[in-house]
Amino acid sequence: MVSIVYAVCGYFFLLLTVRVLKRRAGSGISMLDFVLIFLIGGVIILGTMAQDRSMTNAVCIVITVGFLHRTVAWAKSKSPRVGALVDGVPLVLVDRGQSRKEVMDHMRITDLDVDIATRAARVPSRDQVEYAVLERNGSISVIPKK
Amino acid sequence: MSMSASPITRRVEDDVPRYNDEVAVGEDLEFQRKWWKFENAVWVFFGIIIVCDVLGVFGRGWLAKAQATTPDRAVVLSYERMERAFTPSILDLEISQNAIRDGKVTVFVSGSVVKDLGAARISPQPLTSTIGNDGYTYVFPATTSPATIQIALSPPSAGLRHFRVQVAGSEAIEASVFVFP
Repeated sequence: MVSIVYAVCGYFFLLLTVRVLKRRAGSGISMLDFVLIFLIGGVIILGTMAQDRSMTNAVCIVITVGFLHRTVAWAKSKSPRVGALVDGVPLVLVDRGQSRKEVMDHMRITDLDVDIATRAARVPSRDQVEYAVLERNGSISVIPKK
Repeated sequence: MSMSASPITRRVEDDVPRYNDEVAVGEDLEFQRKWWKFENAVWVFFGIIIVCDVLGVFGRGWLAKAQATTPDRAVVLSYERMERAFTPSILDLEISQNAIRDGKVTVFVSGSVVKDLGAARISPQPLTSTIGNDGYTYVFPATTSPATIQIALSPPSAGLRHFRVQVAGSEAIEASVFVFP
């Protein structure tokens, strides 16, 4: 019973912590992300198990986390507001060729990140970018000038 | 051969708000500005938690350490007023010469020390231990002061816990401990 409560608290605390970390440009998992994943994952599991290392406890916690994840995914699909809270909203980084400093500074996105996304989109240079959008998963979509 | 039912479909609608009436982005900058403020508040809160933890507000630190003494200063009890569930700590009972009688010290600890605070080990080993009066009475061999009895604790659950310790010939010491989950 206590483990279930700990699992619920752990899930939402982890969700909050991951959510308030800035979206990393590029969206892929880097070495730095692995440090976070392993360390936070390892620490939270110790507290959640609450000294009960039985298979029964492990199964109950896995089911609880599964249910929570399913519920959050369902809420996201039903309400755009929940989706915005959990995943964030897309943000325009480059508007008609001009960088939006407020958004880029707050999201810790550099011109270099936009340059990388520009090349990945097979656009030769920044001055040919009409729009660049930071997506919810951290990737940058580039729309070239016509 | 029966035909399988065709799946339910609905018309695709472009309901994502457009940016500059051109790109369907669905940006909500007002929401994002509020979120940035919320993010900053969360990190300030997290910072406060770290500082509190370093100071011992959540146990195992400077602010968690507590001492209680009998009026005649025969017994000094050192403990942590904030404990953590399943985390070991030590409760020290320092006995002065006044409390040593005939080479023995008799100590009563309430049952909550074992049940709520998870007393796992007592050092040194008592000569005798007796149950009754909602607690345990231990008799230790002793020579001269300073003499210290240590009780290793590991609370099994969270909550506010009260306990009582009394050395024969002195007044009882009552204290409370908050156990964090």
